Amino acid sequence: MTALLREARFMLRDRGAMVWIALALLLSAAATGFGIAEVRDQRATIAVLLEEDAKDRANAISKYDAWGDAAYDAFHLTYAPPSKLAFAALGQRDTAPWLHRVRMLALEGQIHEADTRNADFGLIGRFDFAFLAATVAPLLLILLLHDLRAGERVAGRHDLLVATAGRALRLWLPRAGMRFAALALALLLPFWAGALVEGAPALQVLAASGLVLGALLVWWLIVEAVGRRPGTPAALLAALVGIWLALALILPAVAKTAIEASHPVPDGAEILMLQREAVNDAWDKPKAATMEPFLARHPEWRAHGTVDKPFEWKWYYAFQQVGDMQAEPIVRAYREGRLARDRAAGIAAFLSPASLVERGFERLAGTDTQAMIGYEDRVRAFHAELRAFHYPLLFRDPPYDPLAFEKLPRYQPPR
Amino acid sequence: MSAGLSIAREEWRLWARSRVVLLAGVIVAVLLVVTSALTALRVADEAEARAARQASAEATFLAQPDRHPHRMVHYGHYAFRTPPPLAAFDPGVDAVTGQSIFLEGHRQNTAMFADARAGADLGGFAGLTPANIYQLLLPLLLIIIGHGVLLRERESGTLAVLLAQGQSALTLAGGKALALAGVVGAFLLPVTALAAYGAARGEPALTAALMVAGYGLYLAVWAALILAVSLWVRQRSVALGVLIFVWLLTALVVPRLGINAGSAAIDAPGKIESDLVMLAEQRKLGDGHNAADPAFAALQKQVLEQYGAEKVEELPMNWRGVVAGYSEKKLTDLMNQYAEKRMAQEAEQSRIVTLFGFASPTLAVGAASRTLAGTDLATHHRFLREAEALRFDFVQGLNDLHATKLTFADDAKRSADPEAEKRTRVNAAAWRLLDDFRFVPDPAAARAARAALPLAMLLGWLVLLGGAIVAGARRLRP
Repeated sequence: MTALLREARFMLRDRGAMVWIALALLLSAAATGFGIAEVRDQRATIAVLLEEDAKDRANAISKYDAWGDAAYDAFHLTYAPPSKLAFAALGQRDTAPWLHRVRMLALEGQIHEADTRNADFGLIGRFDFAFLAATVAPLLLILLLHDLRAGERVAGRHDLLVATAGRALRLWLPRAGMRFAALALALLLPFWAGALVEGAPALQVLAASGLVLGALLVWWLIVEAVGRRPGTPAALLAALVGIWLALALILPAVAKTAIEASHPVPDGAEILMLQREAVNDAWDKPKAATMEPFLARHPEWRAHGTVDKPFEWKWYYAFQQVGDMQAEPIVRAYREGRLARDRAAGIAAFLSPASLVERGFERLAGTDTQAMIGYEDRVRAFHAELRAFHYPLLFRDPPYDPLAFEKLPRYQPPR
Repeated sequence: MSAGLSIAREEWRLWARSRVVLLAGVIVAVLLVVTSALTALRVADEAEARAARQASAEATFLAQPDRHPHRMVHYGHYAFRTPPPLAAFDPGVDAVTGQSIFLEGHRQNTAMFADARAGADLGGFAGLTPANIYQLLLPLLLIIIGHGVLLRERESGTLAVLLAQGQSALTLAGGKALALAGVVGAFLLPVTALAAYGAARGEPALTAALMVAGYGLYLAVWAALILAVSLWVRQRSVALGVLIFVWLLTALVVPRLGINAGSAAIDAPGKIESDLVMLAEQRKLGDGHNAADPAFAALQKQVLEQYGAEKVEELPMNWRGVVAGYSEKKLTDLMNQYAEKRMAQEAEQSRIVTLFGFASPTLAVGAASRTLAGTDLATHHRFLREAEALRFDFVQGLNDLHATKLTFADDAKRSADPEAEKRTRVNAAAWRLLDDFRFVPDPAAARAARAALPLAMLLGWLVLLGGAIVAGARRLRP
């Protein structure tokens, strides 16, 4: 106890140490603040769009007197709201879309639409808490702890201190532990405050904090292992920075390159071209070329499946779906390819504490690749619901009644 | 001068004998060579693939059978952004923006299928590129090599001897600066090679040379900082700590804080959001598919008067085609207005981010590098504009066919009457109205002009640090 108090006083008088800790606190507060502002912005956008979307759909439906026209013009908003922990890790939300407006046309022509944001954002990246904890914090820890021993050695006190303390551990553990704890607190306090403001679930916050502490502990061990070696403070620091560089920057980048080379995904542009060709060719083909594959998938409409006129809405929507069906294999490969890359990245992340922390945060915050693919899956499911709603109207063609659209399926974001 | 040179030579000799310097140097060199080769190959592949796709998209369009022209409006076309030669060094926003756009009537689609969306996510940094290594790793290597450049003399006591021998502190600092400049010169070899490779593939000499000069300036700023710190600080470990702290801030923290600030200062709506707002306005413009839409009453009145006709059936051209062309023009004006607004907001955000370059040379050199390479946001915006012009061109060409080659009677009956439907198909030879599209970067002078501000920022840093070096040398005591 007295040892801890002594070390606390000692640390408070160490100006260098206080600079690193104050910096950690400042950066953490900035990352948290900006993160909260961004997720609030995104939530506000969704709220406004939900309102506008409903108005626009009502307006579109009110203008028509045929099922097909109304379906053509009615858009439906789908979205993935940021989770309560998303402020700490914006993750894939800067590159993957989290908003769509879909309609009854072929889905493959719509779902890959990117709700583009400023490309510089995706390129340089945001300063969010996950980045701070994963990449910057270890460097701060290194700066804080690298010269505990070597500094005393240079000052000529090292051997005396060790001899006085009896066991070396009694001396270095409280000293390093005090600094470690101060840095960890400086990082986590603003994060906890942010989590409280956002109402993030306690278990998630606990897990995220554990992740930060666990990774920092690994870095501490690394610093310990290197710091024990004889050498000038500068040489030790250079070595530690080299290790940090390898683990936090180079290994992840090399792993990323290797994974992307070994797990190819089909070129997305192919999906679009294939689907487009299929849909457009349908106009020139005999109607049966569309209706046969469609009715094979939907035998329940066989009784209503004949098309007599050059244009009928049911045929139009049938070839939209057939276009999607033709793209199915490559779409599956695109999805599987991305998931396979993500799985491989999950394994490779064990090579780098920085990657592990960042991926862990994205997982907890629902901003990882899996969550974004999960959102795409929900959009697909919703689009299937839309089709299931419209097909009876298009194939049976009852007298037009706009009231029927009150039962239109609504997109439900995940709870 | 010879004194400065011998000081520098002594420094080089020491570095060449240091295992740490050699090891770090070899690792970074290998990384740089491998990354450069991989990136150059990948970008060359991409350029070829996209050019081929562009040509094949054009061929497929021309190969379409006889059709109703409006069907071709919806059949659409593609525009591909082929990477410029210097993208082999700095691919810039290419990975983030998507490289192709589907062009069709009544819509401005986004560029789809950005590589970043399908990439393996290992957090933090985008994949390694030569530009990344130059911006992030080389300064760190320079710090590891050079942080003791003068403090070494102080700690071993030779500084006092040198000064006592009458060596002026300025000459000493000059020699050390020369030593660091030699390292910077060696560091510049790979970028020079890549710039030459770019020039061989058609890059103008001006931008290729400026690229090398920009990175030379950037590394010189770091060298100057290292020397300045070495002059002003008395302990080697403190100097290293300070330098790594500065690196941490300028390379990792400030650029990202700049992004946060740009995003918080200007709320640029995403495309879906602005599309929705636009759609509400667009509904007022009328539906170009429906020539009876009341929104076209004024147009109808005017055209009927012009041709002295009573009904649209009496007009010498197909009224439906006229409406299609008219509404496409109106709609495009509206879409362009929104697109321009969005792009202006994004450009403003990026301008704010670039202003953070005053606090971070890393950000400044990144902006200069992407601009010179032709892989910056502004170039992407120009791609969007050119793709839009291409879209509008062929769509209006087709609408023109719609108005002049079809009769109104056939066009109105075509959904119900197979014979009329056959007569509304236009001969496929008409599809040759499609223009070739080859995206090329801005002229070298324009890119150089855009890169002037960030390059000036770097120069400002260098001058400032030069002052700090001179001041530090003047007060140098053993």
